[in-house]
Amino acid sequence: MYQHYLSFNLLRVTRSTAIASSIKAYFSLAGRNFLHSSGRQPQGPRDTVARHIGSSEIKARREMSSSAVDAASVDLACQLDNVQGIVDALSSVRWKRQQDAVLELSEHGVVLIVEESGCLQAKVYLQKEIFARYEYTAQARPRFGLSLGILVDCLNTFSVLGHSTIIELRYPGPDMQLLLRSVDSLDACMYAEIRTTIPDTISWEYNFEPAGATPLNFTVKSAAFKEAIDDLEWPGSSIRLSLQPTPPCVTLRGDGHGDLQIDFMYYVNTDLLVSFNCDRHVSYRYKYKFLSATTSNIPSSVIKDNRGSKVTVGRGGMLKVQHLVSVSRSSLSHPHIDSAGYQQPSRIVFIEFFVKPEESNDD
Amino acid sequence: MKFKAFLTENGVNLLENRFIPSLEKMGKICHLYLTRDHTFFLHNLLFNDGVQSIAQFKTESLFSDYRISSQNDDRIAFSLDLSLLLRALRSAASISSSATSADRLQIKLVKKLPQNSTQPAPFLTFETKGNTSAVIHDVPISKPLSRAQVHELQNSLDDAQDLPRTLVGVDDLGRLMNFVDRMKQLGDVISVYISKLGELHLKVSNSLVTLGAEFKRLMVVGERGGNDGGGMSVEVSMKHFAKCLQFHLAKPDCAFYGVGSQGASLTVVFQFFVPGSRRTDKSVSLHCRLPVLDTGSS
Repeated sequence: MYQHYLSFNLLRVTRSTAIASSIKAYFSLAGRNFLHSSGRQPQGPRDTVARHIGSSEIKARREMSSSAVDAASVDLACQLDNVQGIVDALSSVRWKRQQDAVLELSEHGVVLIVEESGCLQAKVYLQKEIFARYEYTAQARPRFGLSLGILVDCLNTFSVLGHSTIIELRYPGPDMQLLLRSVDSLDACMYAEIRTTIPDTISWEYNFEPAGATPLNFTVKSAAFKEAIDDLEWPGSSIRLSLQPTPPCVTLRGDGHGDLQIDFMYYVNTDLLVSFNCDRHVSYRYKYKFLSATTSNIPSSVIKDNRGSKVTVGRGGMLKVQHLVSVSRSSLSHPHIDSAGYQQPSRIVFIEFFVKPEESNDD
Repeated sequence: MKFKAFLTENGVNLLENRFIPSLEKMGKICHLYLTRDHTFFLHNLLFNDGVQSIAQFKTESLFSDYRISSQNDDRIAFSLDLSLLLRALRSAASISSSATSADRLQIKLVKKLPQNSTQPAPFLTFETKGNTSAVIHDVPISKPLSRAQVHELQNSLDDAQDLPRTLVGVDDLGRLMNFVDRMKQLGDVISVYISKLGELHLKVSNSLVTLGAEFKRLMVVGERGGNDGGGMSVEVSMKHFAKCLQFHLAKPDCAFYGVGSQGASLTVVFQFFVPGSRRTDKSVSLHCRLPVLDTGSS
């Protein structure tokens, strides 16, 4: 990542220098005072845009105030009013201290992707509805890498102030940073500028496809699922997950220093296993450390709400684990959900984990 | 060389609950400097290699029946271990408060023969007398400073009293502390910008992130700036900056930040109000000076 970062910077410097000189050359013909009147020095790859837009557009830009130019120059400007909720959601995919993540911005929201060893991938979907304001202006979907730990720590800095904070996120900054700024007080402002990198290519292109005509999935209470996986820590490094239609049952089994088998029987306790879809027996092994990553950092709010976590087995044994994290506004947050036991989907963050099986189906 | 006094209830409260715990965070060893009118707790004044801190009390705010005499214009200075002082003070104060109101806590300078030693050594002694018993706590101290050393200490103290031309006041110290707590992990150097318009900017960066806080419209004491703000920025050690925030344990009501002349130091002055009022308590003062790593830009 560092190597990428350095080469990226080098590239950026050479590019921006060349572009700055070409822009200067252009404006020395078109009007000497542009750079001053715009109030913005050409910086970084944003100015490569100047190359691609027509001269009429550049002229139109000349008329714009500097702030308008600045506003137009960011791909994303959004505001968050529940920082703690986002911290919770992002922390749930932080299974180690130093962890790189990729952020993808789009008109629908922000997706954060974390990956490890080509075997485990996690995605956090921050839909635009969870933001207090969401202004997306990019043409192509921007994608950049950053340190997940730093992002979470920075967000945490904003949330410890003891009162609800509204923060603004902008991308890119003058040097392609992700910019965070508290905007709720005129007298005090916190800000963070997080360096971004060209993301590593995802070495493992996950392709989650249904295992067959009938989906193989079950929904289990999050707390119970976490507890079961926590309990499986001692037997060994490999856990076998089996689904069988008769009797409908999910089995987690660890063999190693000892054996431990945990069965979720569908008809025995429907409170625990909320839904169950399976038309044939399947069984796959997963590395314990990857399986435990799917629940080990799950936010306490999810455990407290005790919603269901949905587990799906795809083609080739690819496992998908989905959690829902509520990020209702702190002012509106209330311990109970409404009478229907249903919360506004717009204030929910979706988290997905994909775990590759250790070996092919040995059935 | 003689020193003898009774610690007042207010004195015990100030030292035990507020000042010594916070001074201890600054450094375990400090100089105690006693004059006719004032008592000082001084850190790093003689060996200028870190944060200098100066806590100054009018003798009346700590002591009654204050008697001091020395051949050096009634000035005595020595160094001591603050944790030992706090331990002795706590113990003596608890005995004194549980005894009858007539009992008082005496503090005096003595020379005693320590156990297993033939050489007498100086001690600061706390003595709590009751009707039937007396409890004595001895805190070992250094040999009193020589006349030349006291002179040097007084000179450093005079230099340190030189305050910046502009100071900006932060009254929400808790918030500042929270923030600095988070910043601490990110870098060893914090950049501090102070403007004459009442702005205080803090910034820390490393190769991956820059984190900053800007406080505006703060109270300005001293020279105010024009439209340009006339700000000055300095870089100081994050460790020093966080350390001086530990003075919140002394429960100050406000902290003022300013850059010393030619940007040589960052000065933090803590303000204490007379309890129940918004008037400055002039009997107590506390300030510290942080060495600047880089004068930065003005």
